[in-house]
Amino acid sequence: MKLFYLIKKELIEITRQKELLFLMFVSPVIQIVILGYVISTDIRHVPVGIVNLSQGQAAERIVERVRRSPLFDVRLESRHGMDYLYPLKKGEVKAMLVFRDALDRRRSLLKYPEVQVLMDGIDSNTSMIAAGYFNGIIKQYILDDMEKLGRGVPLAGRPVFRFNPQLRSINYMGPGIVGFLLTIITMFLTSASLVREKEQQTLDTLLISRLSTLEIYVGKALPSALIGLVDMVIGLLVVVLWFDIPFRGSLFYLFLAALVYLAAILAYSLLISVLSATTQQAMFFAWFSLMIFLLMSGFFTPVENIPPALRLVADVNPLRYLIKIIREIFLKGNGIAYFWKDLLALAAIAVTLVSISLLNFKRFISK
Amino acid sequence: MNAAAPAIAVRDLSKNFGRFQAVKGISFDVAPGEIVGFLGPNGAGKTTTIKMITGLLKITSGTVLVDGLDRREQPAQVKRKLGYMSQKFSLYPLLTALENIEFFGGISGLAPRELKAAMARMGEQVDAAVLGQKIHDVPPGIRQKVALFVCLLPGPEIILLDEPTSGVDPEARRLFWSEIYRLKTQGKTLLVSTHNLDEAEYCDRIIIIHNGEIVAAGAPDELLRRKQKASIEELFKDAISEHGQD
Amino acid sequence: MPSANMGRIKAIIVKEFFHILRDPRSLTMVFITPLVMIFILGYSVSYDLNRIDAAVIDLDQSPLSKRLAQAFAANRVFVVHNRGDAPGRMLSLGEAEEMLRRREIKEIIVIPADLSRRLAARGSCEIGLIIDGSETNVANLVYQYDERILLEFNSGLLAAGGTAGRLLRLDTKIYFNPEVRSQFFFIPGLVAVILLMISAMLTSLSISRERETGSIALLFISPLRSREIIIGKTIPYIIVALLDGVFILLFARFWFGIPLRGSLLVLLLFALLYILSGLALGILISTSAPTQRTAMLATLLITMLPSFLLSGFIFPLDSLSPVLRAISYAVPATYFLRIIRGVILKGAELKHFLFEGGMLVALSLVLLAAATRKFNRQRKAAQ
Repeated sequence: MKLFYLIKKELIEITRQKELLFLMFVSPVIQIVILGYVISTDIRHVPVGIVNLSQGQAAERIVERVRRSPLFDVRLESRHGMDYLYPLKKGEVKAMLVFRDALDRRRSLLKYPEVQVLMDGIDSNTSMIAAGYFNGIIKQYILDDMEKLGRGVPLAGRPVFRFNPQLRSINYMGPGIVGFLLTIITMFLTSASLVREKEQQTLDTLLISRLSTLEIYVGKALPSALIGLVDMVIGLLVVVLWFDIPFRGSLFYLFLAALVYLAAILAYSLLISVLSATTQQAMFFAWFSLMIFLLMSGFFTPVENIPPALRLVADVNPLRYLIKIIREIFLKGNGIAYFWKDLLALAAIAVTLVSISLLNFKRFISK
Repeated sequence: MNAAAPAIAVRDLSKNFGRFQAVKGISFDVAPGEIVGFLGPNGAGKTTTIKMITGLLKITSGTVLVDGLDRREQPAQVKRKLGYMSQKFSLYPLLTALENIEFFGGISGLAPRELKAAMARMGEQVDAAVLGQKIHDVPPGIRQKVALFVCLLPGPEIILLDEPTSGVDPEARRLFWSEIYRLKTQGKTLLVSTHNLDEAEYCDRIIIIHNGEIVAAGAPDELLRRKQKASIEELFKDAISEHGQD
Repeated sequence: MPSANMGRIKAIIVKEFFHILRDPRSLTMVFITPLVMIFILGYSVSYDLNRIDAAVIDLDQSPLSKRLAQAFAANRVFVVHNRGDAPGRMLSLGEAEEMLRRREIKEIIVIPADLSRRLAARGSCEIGLIIDGSETNVANLVYQYDERILLEFNSGLLAAGGTAGRLLRLDTKIYFNPEVRSQFFFIPGLVAVILLMISAMLTSLSISRERETGSIALLFISPLRSREIIIGKTIPYIIVALLDGVFILLFARFWFGIPLRGSLLVLLLFALLYILSGLALGILISTSAPTQRTAMLATLLITMLPSFLLSGFIFPLDSLSPVLRAISYAVPATYFLRIIRGVILKGAELKHFLFEGGMLVALSLVLLAAATRKFNRQRKAAQ
């Protein structure tokens, strides 16, 4: 009952701050929508430059295919030699495609030109994919050409993509956004909560009241958890309805995982709150943690790429497990058999964090 | 309540913050039903002492007995006996006066019916429109009134008020002290810290603290007589200069 | 700006400086956390695929199919699984599918039973590639690897058969990052993103703090013009943020060995403009937010996602839809990312980035003007 009043108070305080309400409930929707669009745009319109020094027809036909392809955006074309590196340096194009006539040993003209691809390797991912696209165009051209002569390429790979047949990246990233939202909102809301009471001098009154330490702890965590869950539901709805991502798994396990995760993240945030002297410090620390959690969660880049020495950091990152579980449930519709280990790891992290943070909280209160 | 035992008994109480000793082994009693004024300049150790009595600060050495109970051994029971109003009337600035009352009453375990009655009582004293405003926007006098009201909600026997009259206009201060007298007539014990010397005359007894040490204690009249001073102010200046260089 | 104002601005600058120096704990955080972040993330954020676990289901079991399986196994990236649970038995397709579900493998390569026969009869045959599509990016890369291996294998087959002679000669050269380390892409990006967030956070509290403590009233009634107050509150942080930027850059250079191919001076000049835009953004938020908590939260949300998503930090801008592309022009990180990657990795010069530099200046001015207007309006309302 006492707890009820504490939670009510926290919620009133939040609703009295219009800006905070906006940040909590409107901005997530905007974020998901933008994030969704950014993510769902697969790599296309790669800016390239073409230098065609070949006199042959084959080169002209391949260039024509590149021009027509939505995967490439031809920014400059030339039929004369030039400083190929300049446009790359300037960042105007990602690759230069140079076509030259190819001669055989007897110095007679070959049917196919010699093609040189000069790539900007900095954005290695885009470059590799663009190179793949270009290889594809050339392969297709040769295939078509050979077909005219009644022959085919001996072995052709025929890919089938499981769980996500059209390779829509939003299917992969979208569900992760929900975990991301859950983190950002609850963390910032909670990590400054004790410092705030300290700064507005209300902490003493709270401590001298008949509330027990545990009641204060839970009273601080629950409102954030509630808001986090509401945000999660909003996120799920946007992801499923707006982006049309199929939800194949069990809602029960999704929320179970979310609850375990919330316990971990709230305990962590309260720990920040206990350890920080000012709001600024608390927020700064929350930001730092958020960046690490997010970028090491497998949300943007695979966790497998993290080097062994830093694997430990990734292994204790609760967001990593949540995102994994969400993806299992969402995309594959997998049952608990496929992610019980992750759920267990998440629970272990939650228990550890809650113990550490509760201990610190108690010490903080009985100063 | 045991008539013989003091409401608050402080013995050799010290507080160190690192190497700095804020309170240096002070001892005093507050008898049941008494108003004791705790006087001293800013930084004298008033707030530190009060916070040690409430349990908000750890005691470095010495003991605090509240109604015979050791504050370190039975902190929960001691909490139940105490009412505490901190400096700056720590209320939630974003909540209205009524919401603050509901909250503080709620967490002290008041039943919903009692809460409603308490809110109605406040309504008799203050205009409803003001009570519906955020505490942040309410004048300090009303804030002080609400803070005291909130502090009394759980019905404590012993009340510690830390600088309750700072930043309030003289009229509100006068009203506040009459309220304190009303509490005394109800049999409550009060320890009130202040740096307004003219408030000393309202108290049954005063304790003057400076640099963490008690430099004078007793009933105001008796103290004046003993030290042969015309006013509390003179007495205060004298006591402080005596102990100033240490 | 007339010189008479400079004295007054100086007073604010000095006061603000004292505030920064008096809080050494926050100051250390401002300098240490970015380093820790770059350190951890610099190693961890990577697209490079070091290992592809794949199952090969060879239903043909002919010399040719074994050679093909061998071609995959020989590639240093692939780790081929083909043993079933029972000893001596080959992996079945069902088992492999289950492994795919359990994320133990990323791909199943299915060589059909009639490979040799069909190849002999028709000259071509299809190989089944069942790839886990849930990680789109990884799936794409896996497929690229498959294609490359098949292409080589085909060339070998054709050369042996002497049919088509040789296929088209494709020669790919990768510049600026010959080993295609994604660290070269991400670390300068992280520097840019972190620098913007730090700058914005630094100033985001400067006015909201005064609002919360009530000392803003003193600013309101001071003889200073709003413009002077805003500028005075921004300047001290330029120094802090620029120092921070140098710090981060040095770390990237010496710890991660990211080369500096262009001029440091040019880079710092642009960094200064970039920092200014971040600080201006922070101060605009600070004038709008009622409390420090809201200011921080708003700063983080406003700087974090756009800098991550709409700047080219992770996702290439060229692929974005026109609307998002338009938004990206308002994100300072968009320009600085181009600049920092260009100067650091390609040795680009000042003249390459006049537009970007100009946009950064323009953004800063617009943001500062908006902050001044907002502050001025509040000031009038308070009086």
